[in-house]
Amino acid sequence: MSSPAIPAETTVAASGQGRTRGSRFDVDRLVDLGFRGQATLVYLFLYLPILVVVIFSFNANSLATIWTGFDMKWYGVALSDPVVHRALQNSFIVAIFTATIATTIGTMAALGLQRVPRGIRVVYDALTYVSIIIPEIVIALATLVFFAQTFDLLNPILSGTGVKLNFGHPTIIAAHVLFNLSLVLLLVRARLSGMDRTQVEASYDLYATPWRTFRQVTLPALLPAIVAGFLLAFTFSFDDYVITSFVSGPGSSTLPLFIFGQIKRGVTPETNAVATMILLFTIGILLFGQLLLAWTARRRGGSGDSMAAIVAQQR
Amino acid sequence: MDDLNRLLSKPVNRRSFLAAAGLTGAGAVLAACSSDGGGGGGGGGDVEDALYVYNWSDYINPDNIDKFKEEFGVNEFVYDIFANNEELLAKLQGGASAYDIACPTAEYVPAMREGGFLQKLDLARLPNLQYINDTFKGLAWDPTDEYQVPKDYGTTGLLYRSKLVTEPLTSWKEFFELAKGPHSGKIVVVDSMGDVFTFPLKMLGYSLNSLDPDELEEARQILLELAPHVLALDSDLYGDKLASEEATIALAWTGPLVELRASEETADAAWVNPSEGTLFWLDVWCMLADAPHPNASYAFLDFIHRPEIQGDETNYNGYATPNDAAKDFVDPEILADPAIFPSEEVIAKLEGAEDTSSNNQRIEIWEEFKSKVGS
Amino acid sequence: MTTIAETAPAAQEPSEPKEPGRWKGGLLTFLLILPASFWYFVLLLVPLAIVVIFSFGTRAPNGGYAPDFTFKNYIDAIQAPDPFFVSLRLAFLGTLLCVFVGLPFAYFLATRAGNRKGLLILLIVIPFWTSFLIRAYAWLTILGPRFLADWIGSITGIEDFRILGSEAAILVGIVYGYLPLMIFPLFVSLERMDRSLVEASKDLGAGRWATFRQITFPIALPGIITGSILVFIPLMGEYVIPAILGYGRVYLVGNALVTDFLDARNWPGGSAQAVGLILVMFLTITFYMWTLNRGRKTRQMNVL
Repeated sequence: MSSPAIPAETTVAASGQGRTRGSRFDVDRLVDLGFRGQATLVYLFLYLPILVVVIFSFNANSLATIWTGFDMKWYGVALSDPVVHRALQNSFIVAIFTATIATTIGTMAALGLQRVPRGIRVVYDALTYVSIIIPEIVIALATLVFFAQTFDLLNPILSGTGVKLNFGHPTIIAAHVLFNLSLVLLLVRARLSGMDRTQVEASYDLYATPWRTFRQVTLPALLPAIVAGFLLAFTFSFDDYVITSFVSGPGSSTLPLFIFGQIKRGVTPETNAVATMILLFTIGILLFGQLLLAWTARRRGGSGDSMAAIVAQQR
Repeated sequence: MDDLNRLLSKPVNRRSFLAAAGLTGAGAVLAACSSDGGGGGGGGGDVEDALYVYNWSDYINPDNIDKFKEEFGVNEFVYDIFANNEELLAKLQGGASAYDIACPTAEYVPAMREGGFLQKLDLARLPNLQYINDTFKGLAWDPTDEYQVPKDYGTTGLLYRSKLVTEPLTSWKEFFELAKGPHSGKIVVVDSMGDVFTFPLKMLGYSLNSLDPDELEEARQILLELAPHVLALDSDLYGDKLASEEATIALAWTGPLVELRASEETADAAWVNPSEGTLFWLDVWCMLADAPHPNASYAFLDFIHRPEIQGDETNYNGYATPNDAAKDFVDPEILADPAIFPSEEVIAKLEGAEDTSSNNQRIEIWEEFKSKVGS
Repeated sequence: MTTIAETAPAAQEPSEPKEPGRWKGGLLTFLLILPASFWYFVLLLVPLAIVVIFSFGTRAPNGGYAPDFTFKNYIDAIQAPDPFFVSLRLAFLGTLLCVFVGLPFAYFLATRAGNRKGLLILLIVIPFWTSFLIRAYAWLTILGPRFLADWIGSITGIEDFRILGSEAAILVGIVYGYLPLMIFPLFVSLERMDRSLVEASKDLGAGRWATFRQITFPIALPGIITGSILVFIPLMGEYVIPAILGYGRVYLVGNALVTDFLDARNWPGGSAQAVGLILVMFLTITFYMWTLNRGRKTRQMNVL
């Protein structure tokens, strides 16, 4: 909230003191501190509810928001609940496929759109926006109707082959990809829009092949956008309720479906326990990844802490 | 066996019961005691090795699922969850139905039947339906009892904190006065059209399914008068709001009652079925039109109404069963609870909800009420 | 794979025939946009057509859709505009807050986070792998009468101080739920910013404010635009946050749509509302982009 204020205030301070080296350094530190402080607050804001979720996973009673006492039993309940196992597994399958497909075809399209006439680009812009505008419940229902009609049409034709089209993972993934595809497209195109062409041209001047240029110049430059798109796509797919509830089939229910459904029959800390375990699992993998990277980096003689290499390649 | 049951389900908390049964292996003991007896099996047809059930969350005793799987050799028991009837129906109307059995609330059955989504049941294959109380047969939702198998029932009423509500609260009329007066801003109302209309219509002495424009107009006035005094419109967390004392009275269902009573701080939670009469809901099993596993479906529907199996269902989920013979296997504490099993006097004044979603006036009043809540 | 060879020139000047592999450029371009086009056609345009067809129909006796050709649904939709304006106000405020919180944060991530960038970014999305519903319930606890509200009440001396059920609570939920959609595009834009530009600007004697206005802000602008769109638009259809944190006391377009589709089972009525919403939002965005781009160089117009 305080962002625009920081540069403004410090300008006054800087001009008032004159730009001697020492004072400038102090102001720089102050600004840096301000940014760090704000970032810390944002992380606090993001993680405060998570802390509450973790605490309530040990709640003795089964009210969602009222603490009554410490109990570990919900972990046992969650671990022995086959519905939870299946839901969790389905969520991962759906989210990973969705994110991979959306990121791949979204990036491809963003690259392709650089090369098409303006008219086609405008049409694409319109499609991208409409796919985001259309309220979830509307696209969910319309997609359901579309799938059902298509299946009715195709299944009699396919009847000889033993294949029977039905709702399940593929329908959920197909529907999820739509929204996330637009997300990736917007992110990658925002990145492409200001890309430095000179490097690409330099690469060609040095007789690099197109594929080599793509791999060594363009891809690294786009990587932050691609990774950001993948993460967002994974996240939104993993946590989607409305669309999934309409286009899922027997046995393909995801975790949000389980949670929304459970709430109708009394919320319990079981869901908190599941969330906590996912969190621990994620953080465990992160730590492991960090350690692994640091270790390999040390062996290669590089500097440690190179998780950054995954996301943000310094150019 | 009765004793064992009671021992396990005390305090009457379906969650801790589940935990106890699941974690200590006591479920196995229970299973061993009750697997004998029971009515004749599904009868006719080879039972497939899979069954796809589409149901409310946590609405079948997991022990019973295990017993069913073992007895009939059904290896794949898919239990998918829906969050509300509207979604279930929208999904069917959109063309998705790959399940065998679904469990809607009975007022949705006519629409599902007329839409061609349900299969007519062969009652000869369901001998255990003989135990269903006559009250739950021949109801308007399914006059010939060929499309629905009653599962559980309950009422819409007032859940309140007797510690905080010292005034008498026995009728809709008293509720209305309290809501406008001392308990203004401490009222929670479920976000469910049919249940909310019950209050003004029953208070005025009309049918809760009334479509009469004048009666509905009167109901509208009362609802709009109530709206500013409402703290929240909430179908899911009204129990929490009562527990935190943010709210004192909820126009709601019995769901959180057991949980509230189990905790010392909120043991004063109480339930009343308003004296003017109220709504009763009935959840029912239905077999979907193109059920991929019809024989397993019949086997399950008959299995679940075996008296001892059905008794364990009630002990598990804490809702009243329409199966008379099963009451012998129900924890006496649950059986004696008037909030769960209403008295004859209350039952006499209950009215089933009909599907009134096509009435525009109701929809408009509902939308107006929702947009005026709390302001 | 002549991908990038042509991206640069194609975006600027159309004719440069000396590039290698020009002859297969057309096919490659076609292949690059084929999968996305297929997705848009099958899963966006076809369902959209279904919605438009629905919007001219009538409600079937048991709910759902029955074929017809009537404008009644559109007339009904126009007659209840209140939720639309409430949504518009909340979406606008929510987007603004997201920019205020997200911009300095993204700037920090992009320019000052050093080589911990990757980790810090992952840390943003991890909370979102916990179901939104559960996190919203956690906010109920935090803002509720036993914690924050009680604390503020005791400090200010206001008895029965409440946050939940107010628009403020909804805005907290909105910023919480939508912040990553703002941060990521901002980060992606700012990350390519060359720190030397800022240094150069300072060395040339520009003040911090001038540097921000002339260097940082223009670079952040595509991110702000993308982020605003990604936040503002889905917010218009939001209905879970007002139901939980707003205690159902605020009735938005999203709620009206759900009432129509699920409670009333009036698919044609809901479809007409949705088509209206899509049209209005589409025109708004087009206008928004147009005004924004007017002030910028035309070369950048084909960016978004």
